[in-house]
Amino acid sequence: MASIRMWEVIKRAETGPYMEEKDFLMKHFLPTMKKVIKKYDIKYDPNNPIPHDDDLIDRMWQAAVEFFLEVGVYHSDNKRVIKFTENELKEALFAAPSEYFVGEGCDRRRFGSRKIEDERPPFMLLSPDITYDEHDHLLACMAYLKEPLLDGLCAPILEEFMGRKIKSGAPSEIGGCVMHAMNLREAARLVGRPGAWFVAVGTAESDMSQIAVSNDMWGIRHTDGRLAPVITEMITNNEMLNKAAHYQINGNIAGCLAGAIYGGYAGGAEGTAILQIAYHLMGLMVHFVQFNQNFPFHMLYGSNTGREMLWVVSTYCQAIAKNTHLVHTSNGFANAGPATDMLYYETAAHAIASTVCGANLWEMAPARNKIHNHGTPLEARFAAEVGHSATKMKMTREQANEIVNKLLAKYEKDIPDAPIGKPFREVYDINELVPKQEYLDQYYRIKEEIAKMGIDFVF
Amino acid sequence: MEKRKLLVQYVMEGNDEKALELAKELVKEVNPKLLLEDLTEGMRELGQKFERLEVFLPELMVAADALEQVTAIIEPLLESEDIVEKEKVVMATVKGDVHEIGKNIVSMVLKANGFEVIDLGKDVSATNIIKTAQENEAKIIGLSALMTTTMPSQKEVIDLLKDMGLRDKFKVLVGGAPVSKNWADSIGADGYAEDAFKTVDLVKSIL
Repeated sequence: MASIRMWEVIKRAETGPYMEEKDFLMKHFLPTMKKVIKKYDIKYDPNNPIPHDDDLIDRMWQAAVEFFLEVGVYHSDNKRVIKFTENELKEALFAAPSEYFVGEGCDRRRFGSRKIEDERPPFMLLSPDITYDEHDHLLACMAYLKEPLLDGLCAPILEEFMGRKIKSGAPSEIGGCVMHAMNLREAARLVGRPGAWFVAVGTAESDMSQIAVSNDMWGIRHTDGRLAPVITEMITNNEMLNKAAHYQINGNIAGCLAGAIYGGYAGGAEGTAILQIAYHLMGLMVHFVQFNQNFPFHMLYGSNTGREMLWVVSTYCQAIAKNTHLVHTSNGFANAGPATDMLYYETAAHAIASTVCGANLWEMAPARNKIHNHGTPLEARFAAEVGHSATKMKMTREQANEIVNKLLAKYEKDIPDAPIGKPFREVYDINELVPKQEYLDQYYRIKEEIAKMGIDFVF
Repeated sequence: MEKRKLLVQYVMEGNDEKALELAKELVKEVNPKLLLEDLTEGMRELGQKFERLEVFLPELMVAADALEQVTAIIEPLLESEDIVEKEKVVMATVKGDVHEIGKNIVSMVLKANGFEVIDLGKDVSATNIIKTAQENEAKIIGLSALMTTTMPSQKEVIDLLKDMGLRDKFKVLVGGAPVSKNWADSIGADGYAEDAFKTVDLVKSIL
């Protein structure tokens, strides 16, 4: 939302209707979601993970808007519900900018909204979204920043600082976040990309640590990206609003980090997709952000590359792209780990679904986002190549659906027991920060295989 | 028998109004112990459907809510020898962490499998967790953390148990998205389960 409304919204967090959290969930969230799914006749189609049904997409948008306006957002510290009128929502949707220019100098990039089957390539935000050893963090940042197709970086996360486990809300968290921020700046300069755009700092859970690293000289610049997360589901609190307010006052390009859980409160694919759409409205209105960062995931697997999750991804992306000019990214969470064939199939599927359906890309979190050090720039590079290729060849939703079905046939049966792959140090030469030849050979072999499924790679 | 099946159906559908009305009628005709057995079995079946994702969390929650209301009518009417003491599990999202859904799913599945769950909510201090476990004579403590930076609070509970001389009194299980068996072993936890359904098997094996 235009942040000129920020203080009005914060006031509503203190004066909105009082409600116990359980009642918000049981008496409002759950029945309203059930109602809108039925009212708008939303049905998941497993045969078409990338549907080409504009009427369905519009109905999903309407369902999400109705859900958002009726349910509102719960502020758990104040036990109050923040709600908006339809007119306020329409005003904010109209006023929201459709593009931003991020990064500096040679690394200045357009980060903007896209349309379904948009011929413009997606903005490529590379991110492993997992933790790395302290002594590898700077090296990993450098390795990612060396990727030519990178438009922005959300760095690996630190788990330890000076040999001790970082604890949220404690001084170790501040130390870890300062190290994270400084590593980003140093890494960018060392590889010759001092103007590269960051979204940071993933090591920070608390508001105090996020605020501590806002520093144009050595830390996260006021022009960098930041994230204000949603609490599952449709919940915020003072800590999140503190972050959100700080980012706006600081001049950051802020995003709302939201991941609806398949199988959770939203139920199945239909509710998960509707909720993910509604999160764009929550980001706009309650966290006052400039973009939405989306990571819906499966309750059991923690991933979003299975059939039902690709349907969720492709439908929420289409709904936003078709009905708004909001800026958003689609974050891939794969089951398999680095240096496995399966990870590349999953990456291709997610990148195709997201790109063709109108999102920018945020790729790729391997191994269910769970295994320390298990992330490399290679899978992110692959996502970028797939994204660019899909737009260059003007891939349609029908073509995307066909290719994704072929990819799913290669890996979906293996989702429950996906291989965890190999850690960064094994896949990469950590002196020169390049992939070892064996893994580069694997990369080109898989690329050739996937090209035969129908992707005309740009190079 | 038909009415007993209907009661189970109403509860599993989350239709608390009809369930309560029927329960009040049935307790006059049927041994309350049998009614509870029917409902426990129904909930277990629903839990298994949830495990297969044939139903989702909302269905489990509304059923659990209806069950709680119906049980409140039935349980006071049980003969003392029919009262089954359920094993107690204290569940909490650790200090500094406000994410609850994972813990809520585990709690729901444990309840569906016949455990009594004392859910302390989110951002709970180690002392509160231990105090609650002591007061309720629980045997199991379940700790959830969603962020790597809140995982240390799981270790804090275990360390505090040791410092208080209470480590042998409780089995401590840890879980959450970033948590792994390696972490559980490194902090001296008694168990780790990848998901809610494996947690039930783990708890049963420990007890």
